[in-house]
Amino acid sequence: MAVSPSIPRPRRWDIPFCRESDSEREMTDEDVDRLMGQAPFSQIDPAGFKKTLPLRDILKNDARLVPFQEGDIVVRRGDWGNTAFFIISGSVRVEIEPPESAMPATMLGRTERPRQTMFQAIAQLWRNHHEPEFRSQAAQMDDRIGTRSAGESTRIFLQDVPAVLDQFRTATIDQGQWFGELAALGRTPRTATVFADGPCELLEIRWQGLRDIMRHDRDGDLRAYIEGVFRERALATFLRDEPLFQDLTAEQMRRLVQEVEFETYGNYDSPQPFRELAKLGAELNLSNEPFVARQSEYPNGIILIRSGLARLSEKHFNGHRTVGYLMPGQSYGFPEISQGWNCSSAVPLRYSLTAIGYLNVVIVPTIVVEQLLLETRAVRAPAAPAEAGLGHSQRSSSVAATTKKEVRIADHLLDFMVDHRFVQGTATMVIDLDRCTRCDDCVRACAATHDNNPRFIRHGPVHGQHMVANACLHCADPVCMIECPTGAIHRDQRDGLIVISEQTCIGCAQCANNCPYDAIRMVEIRDAKGQFIVDDKTSRPLMQATKCDLCQNLPGGPACQRACPHDALQRVDLTFFETVGDALQS
Amino acid sequence: MNKRARRRIQNGALFVLLATLAVVANQILNVLHYRTPFFSGWFLFGLIVVLALYNVRKKLALIPVGTSAGWLQFHLYAGIMTSVVFALHVGLRIPDGVFERTLAVFYVATFTSGVAGLFLSRTFPARITSRGEEILFERIPVFLKQLRDDVEKVVFTCVEQTETTAIPELYLSHLKPFFEKPRNVFWHLVHSGRPRQRLLLEIRGQQRFLSESERKAVDQVTDRVRTKDDLDYQYALQGTLKVWLFIHIPLTYGLLVMSIFHGLAVYAYGGSY
Ligand code: HEM
Repeated sequence: MAVSPSIPRPRRWDIPFCRESDSEREMTDEDVDRLMGQAPFSQIDPAGFKKTLPLRDILKNDARLVPFQEGDIVVRRGDWGNTAFFIISGSVRVEIEPPESAMPATMLGRTERPRQTMFQAIAQLWRNHHEPEFRSQAAQMDDRIGTRSAGESTRIFLQDVPAVLDQFRTATIDQGQWFGELAALGRTPRTATVFADGPCELLEIRWQGLRDIMRHDRDGDLRAYIEGVFRERALATFLRDEPLFQDLTAEQMRRLVQEVEFETYGNYDSPQPFRELAKLGAELNLSNEPFVARQSEYPNGIILIRSGLARLSEKHFNGHRTVGYLMPGQSYGFPEISQGWNCSSAVPLRYSLTAIGYLNVVIVPTIVVEQLLLETRAVRAPAAPAEAGLGHSQRSSSVAATTKKEVRIADHLLDFMVDHRFVQGTATMVIDLDRCTRCDDCVRACAATHDNNPRFIRHGPVHGQHMVANACLHCADPVCMIECPTGAIHRDQRDGLIVISEQTCIGCAQCANNCPYDAIRMVEIRDAKGQFIVDDKTSRPLMQATKCDLCQNLPGGPACQRACPHDALQRVDLTFFETVGDALQS
Repeated sequence: MNKRARRRIQNGALFVLLATLAVVANQILNVLHYRTPFFSGWFLFGLIVVLALYNVRKKLALIPVGTSAGWLQFHLYAGIMTSVVFALHVGLRIPDGVFERTLAVFYVATFTSGVAGLFLSRTFPARITSRGEEILFERIPVFLKQLRDDVEKVVFTCVEQTETTAIPELYLSHLKPFFEKPRNVFWHLVHSGRPRQRLLLEIRGQQRFLSESERKAVDQVTDRVRTKDDLDYQYALQGTLKVWLFIHIPLTYGLLVMSIFHGLAVYAYGGSY
């Protein structure tokens, strides 16, 4: 029998933050001393920290010092980062809303590829280069930005900061202030672009480090500060968007923001565990998913999903059966609370809710729900507790109401999709193998539309007649976007697709390593003559990340789906449970 | 009713309507003493050209000229419609003359290959899915080699470790040819497990002559035989799905070229309607 390879169990600080590939310098003991001597770290009582997790070690391993030059972009609007920043010296500028004053995507090093017209599509037939992965040298970056190398990594900077300041509304964030903590702690996209308006030094800290500091900060100054900011900005915005609270008065809203609790489950130390989970999915199933709410217990409050993915399940003989899943924007528990209120006796939850991988939730305590929603106004709730066993959201309930004939997905197929985390996909490539003649027309169509190199492999995990092929799912929670040093991989603001900008991809492979589905491939790129473009220093071929862009710029939609003669291949939005059955109906 | 059943009923109804119209129109023209083959001929040619254009559509992934699935639906019904029009065109008789007969043979062959292909396309995929691991056709030789190497390793280990030559002999007589290349294509196409059963019986028959360790080795070999047989199954079915188009397409082009000559000849020597 083959012996499994064994390695020492990886531990949290095996690779300190300052040794990650894009770091510019080591974090020395002197650096840590310097930090410990200045606010806010000097004000934190080190005695509150566990012996195994002292503040010094957190700073040494989970933080790094990063010098920035004038114009350097620190974070971009829409990026997914899992770090927060503290300004040690100098200052930075942050774009202010409203969005119309925001810097255009091309200025952030992203591409804006307009949808082709019919004539352009026809012209591409003979314009296509005969060699794969041809990159036109003419595809220049916006001339208002440039790139410069910083250590091993590459940075994008604004060429003319005064002009940018003239043209766009920005605010200054000064020395001693934090930014980026909301996106880091909630795993949500950055809401604004920040750039250096002169030389400055920033302390960048991984979210785990920040979380631990907040947890052990006895006096709680830092925690109070960050929680305050979090409530004021992120939570208020989030709750305002929730249809349930739409009618609250300003005063009630203030109370709601103050009294909700927020909780993070699971782990997003790195996307790696997520990848393993996705691979091991079926074996692990529910056994290592932390419970957010348990079946048969009384609801503590309405659970609103802020980011991540949660599984709804019910006891079935000796195990649990998945009955649905919840995505950001959906909630659980309101029907039970409201039912209990109407009949004056508490109604237990019909299903358990567990966190798959990482989950960030906001809990509105039952008492607050009763006082704000039920006592004062008659809020219409679904008649039966969690009808059809699902969570509650404006979108899901309306779907349930309008399409009564929905096809219910088989239990085992649902388990397969959830266990492998495919339900993250907004455009998952699902192939019905009972119809697929394996003709590869989809692959050829993809190659014809993408530099003669298909952006997916017609292969992947199979369950019964369904195969989820190895193509970008355009995830709701795109872990590939975490830590892209130039922001080349981004969510397109127009259609929400995850795309890679050829102009700014530096080929570091961070996204390819992060993707749990191996859907991003590194390719060697060529010039017009078909020759490999090489690094002028090392003479090695330059690489770029490539993946499915859902034929974003083509009229007519994804070529793979259009090329399938037998309707076997579909790009399916699996994030909404209610529509999945219909989509996968054979 | 699911989407496809509904589509089949709608398209089928439209087809019956149009086919009836074609027959009725032909009858009326006949009664009015027109030479109907001119009409049916042009119609047939037009249909064949449109059917052949499907090949062009497949090369135009970039341009939104309808989905391939939409084209195929049209192709299937228009393809079957050609048989009605063809029957009207030749008046349900075998044509005279060598050229016309060859043309008719080409048409019938193209049509038949189309129908056969449709049958394969609708029945093989589910069979492929339900047997063995899903595998890319191009990767089959790689897996085959891996399996062969695996089996040979087991056999060579036996040669080194046991005194008898039972397993090497079994290998040389029955297994080596089996593992050499894809086998039993025909049997797999007709869904027969006979060759696999025969080989497994052969192996089982040897078991009583083997030592404990040899039996273990034979068990390993048996597993590989099963995997190889599944691989052959995939090869046979996936291969056939690929090959049939290489018959359908050349016939199409042959048919097109001959139809053009046929038309020219008719205009050169024939009268008018
Ligand atoms: C008699 C005139 C016909 C002509 C000239 C014709 C021509 C063609 C052509 C050119 C293709 C495209 C092949 C490719 O590029 O991949 C094709 C595909 C096909 N044809 Fe026909 N065909 C005819 C009749 C039929 C009939 C009667 C049927 C079945 C009822 C049929 C079924 C198909 C199928 C199933 C495909 C393949 C779709 C795929 O899986 O890619 N054809 N035909």
